[in-house]
Amino acid sequence: MGVTKIVEIPVVTTEVPVGPQHPALHEPLLLKVYAEGEEVVKVEVNTGYNHRGVEKLCERNTFYRDIFVVGRVCGICNAVHANCYVRALEQLLDLHPNKRAQYLRVLAMELERVHSHMLINAVMAEIVGFETLFMQIMLDRERVMKAKEILTGGRVLADYMMVGGVRRDIDEEKRQRIRELLLKLKPRVEYYRKVFEEDETIVKRLVGVGRISYSEATSHSLVGPTARGSGVKIDSRVSDKYDAYGEIPFNLVTRSEGDSWARMMVRWDEALESIEMNIYILEHLPSDGNPVPDERRLPRRFPPGEAYTRVEAQRGELTYYVMSDGKGQNPYRVKIRTPSFNNIINSAFMYIGYSLADVPVMLTSLDPCISCMERVTVIDLEKNTRYRLDLKQLAGGKL
Amino acid sequence: MKRPRLLGLVLKNLVSKPATIQYPRVKTPVEPDFRGVQYADLGKCTGCSLCAIECPADAIKMTPIPPEYEVPKTNPRRIYPLINYGKCVFCYRCVKVCPTNAYIATNKYDIAGVSRLTSEAFSLTTLRRVGS
Repeated sequence: MGVTKIVEIPVVTTEVPVGPQHPALHEPLLLKVYAEGEEVVKVEVNTGYNHRGVEKLCERNTFYRDIFVVGRVCGICNAVHANCYVRALEQLLDLHPNKRAQYLRVLAMELERVHSHMLINAVMAEIVGFETLFMQIMLDRERVMKAKEILTGGRVLADYMMVGGVRRDIDEEKRQRIRELLLKLKPRVEYYRKVFEEDETIVKRLVGVGRISYSEATSHSLVGPTARGSGVKIDSRVSDKYDAYGEIPFNLVTRSEGDSWARMMVRWDEALESIEMNIYILEHLPSDGNPVPDERRLPRRFPPGEAYTRVEAQRGELTYYVMSDGKGQNPYRVKIRTPSFNNIINSAFMYIGYSLADVPVMLTSLDPCISCMERVTVIDLEKNTRYRLDLKQLAGGKL
Repeated sequence: MKRPRLLGLVLKNLVSKPATIQYPRVKTPVEPDFRGVQYADLGKCTGCSLCAIECPADAIKMTPIPPEYEVPKTNPRRIYPLINYGKCVFCYRCVKVCPTNAYIATNKYDIAGVSRLTSEAFSLTTLRRVGS
């Protein structure tokens, strides 16, 4: 069997599927990368591999059961999801938790922010090929997980928020233990920040890769550390001052570089800010009453109305819309808009012009949370219509 | 560009103990109030089914108590909440809504296996058998 004829096919672009089952990305997302040589010329973001119908599930369950359903939208940002939903319910009921409960909520959410930022930085270290650093960061992340376990009773899933307060209080001993854990963690985070700043491997892989300018970040409505890495001052903790954020001093971290490295540095700086905030909370915890409401005596009926709340999750602004028709015990509609949805789907422009090997780095620098973002409704403002896209259309990337 | 001082860390890790816990042989330390296995104390349970209604994962099923057990008079329907730990998300909603505080919360977490899939064995040990 010899070769008789060689036909040369002109190759314009090569399609390289990155995902949905990819060893480097951990999460089911398909990036169809079109490459010319090593250079990326076009990227299509296809989602729909992890859709679980959480919004529909919320309509089928009661208001109180939904607190635990929305906590499972995303494992790593469960406390912020629950907090946003619980605050929407409090708006409907016109309930106001006391100061101690508000401080404890912020404590749980900021502990979560520290461990989430440490995780994505560790994953970034792994993706650039620095696995020892991954192991080291994950080892120190255990301290935050322990602090969260002491505070909420669960290492990852907090289930800490309840209408009118939180679900468990902390005593003096627990307060001291969490404080000690955070004080031990702080020099380690400072050290890792320095490693990300100075290490040759990381700097070579991250600096100048996936640059997003200020105008691109705003015109593509990017949120969270992704936008803050491009110098956009967007943070709902600062603008809304929900819960106790108005009373706890913290700085809004932005960087002007706009590349993958700047996004990771924003996360390290935010983690340090969060540790400072947590130590402040533990030292200035008010004691103006019991923060734990009796779950048996909470109102069973919800008045008709709508509520719209937002929180600053680890990945950006997270909003919840809850509608009650006042008839039954179930919400009429729960709409969730997550930050990853904005950041991942709108960022296909970012990959163009960089090399194929930089695609995982750029994707990781956006901190993708796939289980958060699997939802879509298209609203046409000009025609005043709305329609849903089915999974087949979504998988085809048609809008 | 300056290199970070990784050498010190490397040397420290060479002489220190490994951070890995050899889990099945060495117990992982958890807090006493860690949200572990929970089950109903049938001496207090009235069979009101509120936990089964409130469970977000539908993991609780009200089940008749076998006839060989002595049931307190406060439970006239002779039913008890049977928790399927495979479905349970350990949110402790049942523990918090129980009107008689009948739930016993433990910090047990090693429940993988066939024999400990439901709360039957845990709950029924809180009752006395007839004639014993």
